[in-house]
Amino acid sequence: MPLITQENVLDALRKVQDPELHRDIVSLGMVKNLDVSNGKVRFTVELTTPACPLRETIDADCRRALAGIGVNDFEIAFGAQVRGSKSGAGQVDLLPTVKNVVLVAAGKGGVGKSTVASNLAVALKKHGATVGLLDADIYGPSVPILMGVRDNPEKIAVNGGYKLKPPIAHGLPVMSIGFFLEPDQAVIWRGPMLGKALQQLMADVAWGDLDYLIVDMPPGTGDVQITFSQQLKVTGAVLVATPQQVALADVVRAKSMFDKVMVPIVGIIENMSYFICDNCNKKHEIFSRGGAERAAENFKIPFLGEIPITPALREWGDKGVPILVQEPNSEVSKIFMDVAAKLAGRISIISESARKAQALKIVSS
Amino acid sequence: MEAHVPVEINHVKAQRVVRITWDDGHVGEYALDYLRGFCPCAGCQGHSGDLKFVHVPDAELAGISPVGNYAIMFHWSDGHETGIYTYQYLRSLCPCDECKRQASEQR
Repeated sequence: MPLITQENVLDALRKVQDPELHRDIVSLGMVKNLDVSNGKVRFTVELTTPACPLRETIDADCRRALAGIGVNDFEIAFGAQVRGSKSGAGQVDLLPTVKNVVLVAAGKGGVGKSTVASNLAVALKKHGATVGLLDADIYGPSVPILMGVRDNPEKIAVNGGYKLKPPIAHGLPVMSIGFFLEPDQAVIWRGPMLGKALQQLMADVAWGDLDYLIVDMPPGTGDVQITFSQQLKVTGAVLVATPQQVALADVVRAKSMFDKVMVPIVGIIENMSYFICDNCNKKHEIFSRGGAERAAENFKIPFLGEIPITPALREWGDKGVPILVQEPNSEVSKIFMDVAAKLAGRISIISESARKAQALKIVSS
Repeated sequence: MEAHVPVEINHVKAQRVVRITWDDGHVGEYALDYLRGFCPCAGCQGHSGDLKFVHVPDAELAGISPVGNYAIMFHWSDGHETGIYTYQYLRSLCPCDECKRQASEQR
C-alpha cells in the first residue's frame, strides 16, 4: 500500500465536486482540519449552509475518492459556514454582521408572504443556521402576530450611539415596523418618510451575526422595494405566488422589477397549492395547481416547492406560534423544511457568483 | 441584451476621465463633462423621455459610490448627486468607437 500523505488525500478530494457550485471542494476551501496519521485520515467538510440538501452526495463522493487511493480508515465530519454574498469594496454596508439578505416578495398581496417568510425563517433556524426576521410590510405588518411578539425593541448603547435590540421570538431576533405603530393605525406616509423609517429598520438594529436575514416585503413593486435594492446588497429575492393565472401575472411584474435592479431571484414558492380534505383525504386544488411551477419553467427560475392550504397553519399563525414550532412533524412542516433546504442551497450558489461579480473596485488615480 | 457589470471604475484625475473596465474585458473612457451632461436624474432629464445632454462646464467629480447591485452614483463637486447611473445605462453611454458604431447601426 502506498504511503498516504496530506497531498495524496487533497489530490483525491479534488475530484469531489460541490454539486451546486460545480467546483471541487478543495479549491472551494471546504476541506478543513485534515489530519493524516498512522494511515488514518480525518477531516471536516465545511458546507456552505447547515441546511445543505446535498450532504449525502458529497459524503458518498468523498468516500469513493478516498477508496480510490486505498484509504479505508477515515472519519469525515460535517460542519457549516454560511458564506455571504458581499464583497469587500462598495457602499457603506448597513448590515455588516448579516451574511445574506433574502427578500420574500410578491407582486400582489394576500398570497401568504408573511406566513411563508416566518416559517422559512424558523425552518432555516431548525436546520442550524442563525436567522433573523425583518418585517418591512409597512402597510400590513403581520409578523408580530404570526410570531407572537409583544415586547417592544429595547434601546441599547452601541459605540457611542444607540441601536435597537430586536425581541426574540421562538429563538429568532424579530424586527417589525409594526413595533413603532399604534395597533390600529394605518401608515399614510409618502416616499421620503418611508425611506427614513426603512433606513432606521436597516441601519439601527443590532442584529448580531446572522447567516440569513429574511425580509418580509410589502406587496408590489414600489418605494420599499426600491429602497431595499438601493440601500442594501441584497443576496436575492424569493417570490411567493398562488397558482391561478391572474396571480401569476404579478409574479412576472415582480421578476421584471428585480431584474432591473439586478437582485437575483432565488426561486418561486407556490402557496395555497392544494387542500387535503380531512374527511375524504382528497387533494382539492382550489386555485388550480402547478401554475407557479409552469411560470418558473417559463422564466427559468428554480421552483422551490408547493405549500398546501392547511387550517392548522393559519390557526397557529393567528396564535403567534409558527407551525414548525407547534407541529414539527406535520406534513406542512416537513414541506417547509424541504423548501428551506432548497432555498439555502440556491443562496449558496448565488452568493458564490455574486462575490465574484461584485468585486467592483472603485479607485482614483 | 446581455447584462454587463463593471469590475473597475477608475477616476483618472489628470485626464479628467472615468475609466470603466467591464466584466467582458471591455474598457470605456468617459470624459467628466460627458458623464455629467448625461446625468440620468429627473432634474436633469425631465419627463419628456428623450435623452438630453445638459452641459455643465468644468464638472469635477468628488466621489463615486455603488448603489445596491445595479448602479453607480457620482457625487459632483457642486453638490449634485441625484443621478443613479445603472450599469446598463452606463454601458449604453460608452463613448468608445466600437460602441458608438454599434449604437448607430442599431438606430
